[in-house]
Amino acid sequence: MKEALALQSRVAAHPEARCWFLAWSPGGALLASCGGDRAVRIWGREGSGWVCRAVLSDGHQRTVRRVAWSPCGSYLASASFDATTCIWKRCEDGFECVTTLEGHENEVKSVAWAPSGSLLATCSRDKSVWVWEVDEEEEYECVSVLNSHTQDVKHVVWHPNQELLASASYDDTVKLYHEEEDDWVCCATLEGHESTVWSVAFDGSGERLASCSDDKTVRIWQCYRPGNEEGVACSGTDPTWKCVCNLSGYHTRTIYDVAWCRLTGALATACGDDAIRVFEESTSSSPQQQQQPTFSLTAHVPRAHSQDVNCVAWNPKEPGLLASCSDDGEIAFWKYQQPEGC
Amino acid sequence: MAAPSAGSDMFDEIVMAEDRFHGEGYQEGYAEGSHAGAAEGRRCGALHGAKIGSEIGSYLGFALTWQHLLPKCTDEKDSKKMRALDSLIGMIQKFPYEDPTYEKLQDDLEKIRGKFKQVCSMLNIRSDFRISNERSSLTF
Repeated sequence: MKEALALQSRVAAHPEARCWFLAWSPGGALLASCGGDRAVRIWGREGSGWVCRAVLSDGHQRTVRRVAWSPCGSYLASASFDATTCIWKRCEDGFECVTTLEGHENEVKSVAWAPSGSLLATCSRDKSVWVWEVDEEEEYECVSVLNSHTQDVKHVVWHPNQELLASASYDDTVKLYHEEEDDWVCCATLEGHESTVWSVAFDGSGERLASCSDDKTVRIWQCYRPGNEEGVACSGTDPTWKCVCNLSGYHTRTIYDVAWCRLTGALATACGDDAIRVFEESTSSSPQQQQQPTFSLTAHVPRAHSQDVNCVAWNPKEPGLLASCSDDGEIAFWKYQQPEGC
Repeated sequence: MAAPSAGSDMFDEIVMAEDRFHGEGYQEGYAEGSHAGAAEGRRCGALHGAKIGSEIGSYLGFALTWQHLLPKCTDEKDSKKMRALDSLIGMIQKFPYEDPTYEKLQDDLEKIRGKFKQVCSMLNIRSDFRISNERSSLTF
């Protein structure tokens, strides 16, 4: 397990503030970070290190909690505790704020762009999830306000190739939404976690979902469609998401983020015990085992940061390149090498 | 008190007195408690029902007014707004005011609140109608 995750470089990204979240641009060349200093920073590679290419500091009045690139890479959305979401457009000399989305009653916790690029989702401490539609004139219109959660909504993420939205909440559940007859509806509730669900991530195929929680576990959920061979019951035409794996006993504190690499299938976690861990599915050919997959710990860096690790993000183009950020304000870049015999 | 019947003696009556009075006291207390509980429940239900009624009522008034104000299907944007308004009005009209035991009451209420917020966002109106921070706002 030694050196499976090797540190490449470290930058003080948001000095004297927390660094909350990282997002790789779709092309993998740029990394956006956001933090308690109310700024978004854009990082690019220079030599063997990473340098700040732009600072987006005049958009928000309070902490910027989350950033997300549009699938085309031309826009960046930032969600802030000031109850707004800013849309930044890439222009010749940096980024300019083109729209501010208002509507949430208080802190916006997360933002995510649908794979088509025409839909955006936001969620907030006001317990709601909002879906926005973007038209050709860059105008954003709210198409739905979903009040399905009973508590603070921490995270939203889209399915990699369908218009299916997932949200994680302080009410210990994950909820899934899709469009039905001109409106968005909650089509599934994933229950099992015993405390706040902080983050969710789909795998590359979208057939599986990983969720991480304050209960110190990561759960893997598998999608079963109506009429599936395994005999998992579905109601109507909606698929059922069933928990097929529970990774417990590895983490000693709250798990704040989980990232599923689209290139290698490796699963990374960011934990409140300052550590980063990587898991991989044990390869198996028997169909029984596919229904009950096992994941093993392939990398563990105990003191990856000096404080809580808030986010882990796999580069979408370069296999094994992982970025992480922490309450200590730093970003770290790691190279993950799958251990032999795994 | 009934006369001691055959098979029971006066000592029985005395020994069992505590049990008997305890039972009678319980019955009396239960009746009084039920009565007070029902009254309190009725008051609380009426208050809560009135709150929901005034909330939903104001949404309906808002939606019907905007339905009249919006120009009829001049462009795509306005017709979208109109569709959202129609949907809000439809949801309110379907809401079962008469049946407080309707199990999806809270769910439906949350959906109406969501649709109202969406309509406000589309019409560019703050959903709490706060004009300045000094003024009172519309909250339920």
